Amino acid sequence: MKAFRKTSLGDALGIGLIFAVAIFSLVLLVAPSIIVVIISFDTRAYVSFPPEGFTVKWYAEVFKQGELVEAMLNSLQVGITVTLLCILLGVPTALACVRGRFRGTTALSLFVLVPHMVPGIVLGVAVLFAGALVGVSPSIWLQSISITVFILAVMVRTVQSRLMRLDASLEEAAANLRATPFNSLRTVTFPLLLPAILAGAVFTFVEGFDNLSVAIFTHGFRDRPLPVELLSLVQFTSSPLVAAVSGVQIVLAIVALVLVSMSIGLDNVNE
Amino acid sequence: MTDATLSQGHAGPGFGERLADALLSGRGIWPAVPAILVLMIVAVIPFAILLSLGFSDIQISRGDIVSQTFSLTHLANALSDPLYWITFQRSLSLALTTTALCILFGYPVAYLFLTGGTWTKRLILILTIAPLLTSGIVRTYAWLVILGGRGVVNQTLMGLGLIDQPLRIMNTHWAVLIGMVQIHLPVMILPLIAVMSRHDRQVVEAAENLGASRLGTLRTVILPLSVPGIGTGAALVFTLSYTTFVVPQLLGGGNYLNAATMIYEQVVFSLEWSKGSVTSLLLMVTCLMVLVAIALVTNHFTRWTKGRVG
Amino acid sequence: MMQGPAGPLRDAIATAPVLNIGGVSKRFGTTTVLQDCSLDIAEGEVVTLLGPSGCGKTTLLRCIAGFWDADDGTIAIDGRDMAPVPVNRRPVGVVFQSYALFPHMTVAQNVGYALRMGGVARQKAREKVNAALETVSLTGFEGRYPAQLSGGQQQRVAIARVLVMEPRVLLLDEPFNALDAKLRGTMQVELRQLIKTLGLTSIFVTHDQEEALTMSDRIAVMRAGRIEQVASPDEIFDRPATAYVADFIGTSNFWDAKARDGQVALPDGQSVATHLDGAVRVMARPHNLRLMPPEKGRWRGTVTFHRNVGPLIEYHVETPGGATIRVATMRQERSRPIADRAEVSIAVIAPASCAVYPDA
Repeated sequence: MKAFRKTSLGDALGIGLIFAVAIFSLVLLVAPSIIVVIISFDTRAYVSFPPEGFTVKWYAEVFKQGELVEAMLNSLQVGITVTLLCILLGVPTALACVRGRFRGTTALSLFVLVPHMVPGIVLGVAVLFAGALVGVSPSIWLQSISITVFILAVMVRTVQSRLMRLDASLEEAAANLRATPFNSLRTVTFPLLLPAILAGAVFTFVEGFDNLSVAIFTHGFRDRPLPVELLSLVQFTSSPLVAAVSGVQIVLAIVALVLVSMSIGLDNVNE
Repeated sequence: MTDATLSQGHAGPGFGERLADALLSGRGIWPAVPAILVLMIVAVIPFAILLSLGFSDIQISRGDIVSQTFSLTHLANALSDPLYWITFQRSLSLALTTTALCILFGYPVAYLFLTGGTWTKRLILILTIAPLLTSGIVRTYAWLVILGGRGVVNQTLMGLGLIDQPLRIMNTHWAVLIGMVQIHLPVMILPLIAVMSRHDRQVVEAAENLGASRLGTLRTVILPLSVPGIGTGAALVFTLSYTTFVVPQLLGGGNYLNAATMIYEQVVFSLEWSKGSVTSLLLMVTCLMVLVAIALVTNHFTRWTKGRVG
Repeated sequence: MMQGPAGPLRDAIATAPVLNIGGVSKRFGTTTVLQDCSLDIAEGEVVTLLGPSGCGKTTLLRCIAGFWDADDGTIAIDGRDMAPVPVNRRPVGVVFQSYALFPHMTVAQNVGYALRMGGVARQKAREKVNAALETVSLTGFEGRYPAQLSGGQQQRVAIARVLVMEPRVLLLDEPFNALDAKLRGTMQVELRQLIKTLGLTSIFVTHDQEEALTMSDRIAVMRAGRIEQVASPDEIFDRPATAYVADFIGTSNFWDAKARDGQVALPDGQSVATHLDGAVRVMARPHNLRLMPPEKGRWRGTVTFHRNVGPLIEYHVETPGGATIRVATMRQERSRPIADRAEVSIAVIAPASCAVYPDA
């Protein structure tokens, strides 16, 4: 920071106040999670603060509860399915949007964005109704495909923005150097898009794993995903068990964060 | 001469490759077709069905739809039901308050980002992005813990001897509001940072050179230029807080009704699908109206971005 | 490494142009970017397309490369029409302004790319890559990545990369733009020598007239989608065909005059012959003018400015009509330059070297 020039008291106070609010907000962002993690190590069977003792038994308990484990596995499956589908559908779409030479490239971009702009619950309800009318009942697959449709725009946008920053003459050079369109894609475009695809994969996986708004209407009776399971757990349990599950999720989030920052860098997350 | 030499060892492309080449070379829409199909089937058509369900009278006999007539009854019922008005009003005021508070608390963070060094920037990014990677429930649960009868707030206040009885914060409007603001804060901060980072640092330096104090620079230069970011952030926060289901459900107690929880109840519990459909549509329409309003306001304050007139 | 055919065969081929551009036009929507361009390029020739931005030079280059299709006209290489030939089969090598080196591949992988795409056996490919790297003096750089190379090295990799294809025509799109001024000069000379040694037919695109004058056998000056003049650098400089070319290459002084009976009167009293009649524009190069004491001549003016251009001093002389005439003289070791605000008179050294153009 540069040295201050003539700073009046009012100016200093004003700016100071702004910084104070900023710091307060930042603490506000992170404090709840920290508190939850602290509680997850509490030895007592009820939630209270400050905690007493230190134990990891609740974490062990998380993996012993059949329903919880099953819910986590379901969410894992949904996350992976959503990610794979988003890559398979989204990457070619991004290619068409950016490198396409037909008239509707902007329209296409907007079209993909539509399901994301609609509230998740509305999408979930719509899919549920439509499914009922054609005889498709809620299942882990319905859940996966509806979340895919919901979050596809994020994958498309991540790949799109990377693609737009890629020197177009790289692909022209490849063509001049005897590469067929397919080979150019395979050897030049795709490797250079990989970081963006990875970042997009992280976001889509997290959404598939964590989504509640769409999942709550489309999940199968027997395939409850973790968020839905947690919803009932939170409402009916008062032990630090839920805190432990939260702790696990927080760890997952940190891993995801590291992956994203390694692939496209944190500053590029803002599209 | 050249091509002969080069094609000596080449086996020739297989069918799959040739197909891929054909689809890719025209630079046409082909690669996007699968996605378009899926979106049509899983999103567009269901929306259409949702619309039709809300606007029709369906007779069901023996599990099959016997007749479907266009009808505005459901819509009329909803609009004349005072419960609807109260619920939507509540959702609206909650969402608008959340948005306003998020702007109030989020803007300083973006300003800190703008004026901070590399490590400050990194820290802010981590603290802002990480919450978005956890599920809404986890974040809401944290507030359950903090605001509950034996939660952090109460324990601390009692421990300090400031109160005798635990305050009843949970299951109130305030709890929901606090939870909403904290949870949606990152969604306001990120677009702000994105917009503000894109501006030329030298504009700020010019203002300082011309004698503006830091507050003055903030008020006259940085703030106006960041209005698009505020607009985007506000739109996102509003949409999310208007349609969020988890926070009111958990922090407001079972009886706290807002538009989203109402839809949940109608669709999943009482199975009144036509009602649920109408509520969803009303939700979308009102949301859209507010978004348009936000866009108009933002536009008004960014007249300087319009190109040359005439 | 690369040898063209020798002896009588070479002479025979030398007469047929390698590249034929005939009547090529291109439109983008309602804008015509190229208008009826024709150019023949002989084997081993180095031609530069020169002009300001928007004149169509890059468009023409891209049409030859195959990135864009011409709307009218033909482009033929060795007599073979290139219209049905897709980009990846044309016998041309393109060096891009940004070099377009693949950032995720090593130098060796970059250079060997065309061979890999063409299915050339690994051993043979490696030999060709090494030979190409040796030609551009980058032996030993095989394992480096583009980000680790300097601008000049990157350019050489870009060249080696197309050399392995043994292209019939080399196309270079403002290849020196990305280099700083000092490096530019050295690289230009080096590149020209390399191209001439290999006997490569090349087309450069540039807006820099210095570059054009250094690198080319012939220059094609372009303007608004048309080729105004194609000639050797000397001829373009000494006998510019139009006022535009005269203005674009080198510095020129223009003034209006009247032609009568096959002669145009010059301001200093001399005259120059012309076939034009009526209103004309006269052009004189600064080095074709000299300064004299004011009482010695009719064409008077005041010195307003002077600067050094290489070995010359260029004076700006403001004349009564308001026009500023530039006069260039060799620096003299022991005398001082003429001061600002000094009164002088201008004389034309060789009237016949003035150019006369129709009044546009």
